Amino acid sequence: MRALTANRLIDGEVVFWAKGRWVERFADAELFGEDAPAEAAEAHGKAQPTLVVEPYLIEVVETDEGPAPAAYRERLRALGPTNTPQHGKQAEGGHDIAVLSHSTARARASGGRTKLIKR
Amino acid sequence: MYRYDTLDKEFLADRSAEFRHQVARRLAGELTEDQFKPLRLKNGLYLQLHAYMLRIAIPYGTMDVRQLRQLAHIARTYDKGYGHFTTRTNLQLHWIKLRDMPDILDALAEVDLHAMQTSGDCVRNVTADPRAGATAEEVDDPRVWAEVIRQFTTLHPEFSYLPRKFKIAVTASPHDRTAAKTHDVGLALKRGRDGVLGFEVMAGGGLGRSPYIGQTIREHLPVGRVLSYIQAILRVYNRLGRRDNKNKARIKILVAQMGAEAFAREVEAEWALIDGSQVDLPDTELARVRAFFATSFETRPAISSIFESAKQEDAGLARFARNNVHAHKAAGYGIVDVSLKAIGETPGDCSAEQMEAIADLAERYSKGEVRVTHEQNLVLPHVALDDVPAVYAGLKAAGLASANINLVSDIIACPGLDYCALANARAIPIAQDIAKRFSDPDLAERVGELKIKISGCINACGHHHVGHIGILGVDKKGEEYYQLTLGGSGAEDAEIGKILGPALPAERVAGAIDDLVEVYLRERRDGERFLDTYRRTGLQPFKEAIYAEAH
Repeated sequence: MRALTANRLIDGEVVFWAKGRWVERFADAELFGEDAPAEAAEAHGKAQPTLVVEPYLIEVVETDEGPAPAAYRERLRALGPTNTPQHGKQAEGGHDIAVLSHSTARARASGGRTKLIKR
Repeated sequence: MYRYDTLDKEFLADRSAEFRHQVARRLAGELTEDQFKPLRLKNGLYLQLHAYMLRIAIPYGTMDVRQLRQLAHIARTYDKGYGHFTTRTNLQLHWIKLRDMPDILDALAEVDLHAMQTSGDCVRNVTADPRAGATAEEVDDPRVWAEVIRQFTTLHPEFSYLPRKFKIAVTASPHDRTAAKTHDVGLALKRGRDGVLGFEVMAGGGLGRSPYIGQTIREHLPVGRVLSYIQAILRVYNRLGRRDNKNKARIKILVAQMGAEAFAREVEAEWALIDGSQVDLPDTELARVRAFFATSFETRPAISSIFESAKQEDAGLARFARNNVHAHKAAGYGIVDVSLKAIGETPGDCSAEQMEAIADLAERYSKGEVRVTHEQNLVLPHVALDDVPAVYAGLKAAGLASANINLVSDIIACPGLDYCALANARAIPIAQDIAKRFSDPDLAERVGELKIKISGCINACGHHHVGHIGILGVDKKGEEYYQLTLGGSGAEDAEIGKILGPALPAERVAGAIDDLVEVYLRERRDGERFLDTYRRTGLQPFKEAIYAEAH
């Protein structure tokens, strides 16, 4: 399963694709079981350079409690930094956040984000 | 403090207006992200995991209270009310919005601040001894030279597209607090046998993927010739540095491959071609810059009875005095280190309220000056000893009185995977775990000087290679693991640490530090620091303590 993610251009917020629009919560993200619709969404996202920066697809796994990004890096993006639980999306709390926090999936992160930073 | 003149201020205003226009064009779709990225990076704006990050330059780590208050205002207005001081003595704000950036640059420019030299393949923010102008150890004020180099290198067209970034540190004390030997160029002010002031020039140091200790390429450079000599170094690097492979593009690789002697010969040959009168500053200009840094001190008795009796009455103050207050060149004054390493907090983080509290204390008690150290702490450089009890009380009220400078909980940690798009593992929680384990201040003092440095990836922003204990986060099949190194030093006895053994899972790291400290306490001889004991015994006893179970 995959989801499409990016950072919103105007404020850098982590966003996910959901049926033609960008949403802030991973729980609201559209999940793709097939390659073709995932890649079509990615193409749509890439055609919106004034809305988002460098959209890319991430792996999603089904956990006992619900779907969560497979890579820890992507769960951090969907939650916020662990040193400040009051900051980022995790501040909202609730079931959807707990699903991500409890996930122990261990996939290697995709290289997507490393392209964003140049020192 | 150096003061910007009208020309400088107009330049900053123009720069800010230019970026406002660039942001508008990006938002309107007139610039692609590929076109815009180098422009935003030249203004210190990165895109990280959760948001944009703005890195604000604090030249040679020196700020006045007006600037620190403005940083607090910006952190509160445009970020989440805090900032993170870095190993390059800059301030990072981790929750910045692109739409606010033009206003933020304007707000910075109001107090002569900006974000130039914080990104890109140019000369980065020049660092200097945080005790400059305050310590009796120094042979000259390194800030004078750092400022001159800052002016020379800022947006210098010839050095704006170097093979890779370029870092310079200036120190003037035998005890190096700048990690000069881990810089692309380290400049150490020294007096020659004839008493004449000169720079020992070290080149080719650096951390990251391939760590190297800088090598001396000139023992004694006349101080007045420093700009032309830097120009010669940069020209040789620009010409010969590799551009085909980013991982091999730093000057350290060039110096290592050529050999320091051959590199020095190239630099000397290049230098001979430069007309120094076109580059080096006349004495009048140097004197003008120097005058900005002159500070006068009142005549005071060397011993303060107020301070001495307050220490007798307050064990907390006495501990603070032992660890955070250092000798000043003027009788009756002290240099006060402000630790940003409260137990359990994020190393280097400082809230807007704390910035304001420090600014208030600096205004009242430290001649309006604050310094940033590369170890992610702050310094009040000129505090009368009579005033140390009041400063301590003010710091304590702001949660800033941790008496742990140079101790086991004074840990350098990069933002790591909690924020950074490059990181493989988190650094902050590891630092927090270790600090909590050594939260007993008596234990920390018994252990003594121990520099732990943590990086969340091989780029080594947390200087792990030169930690007495270095910790490097690695990604092992999607899990955070940590590789320990021992015996590094970023000081005048600089050395790259040696790998202890296989990487450990996160939950084992703090316990392993405990075990290493146990070995040290068992093995140490009179007066030995952790580093001294390690250098005498080597890795073996430490290795046995950590990996015994595996054998």
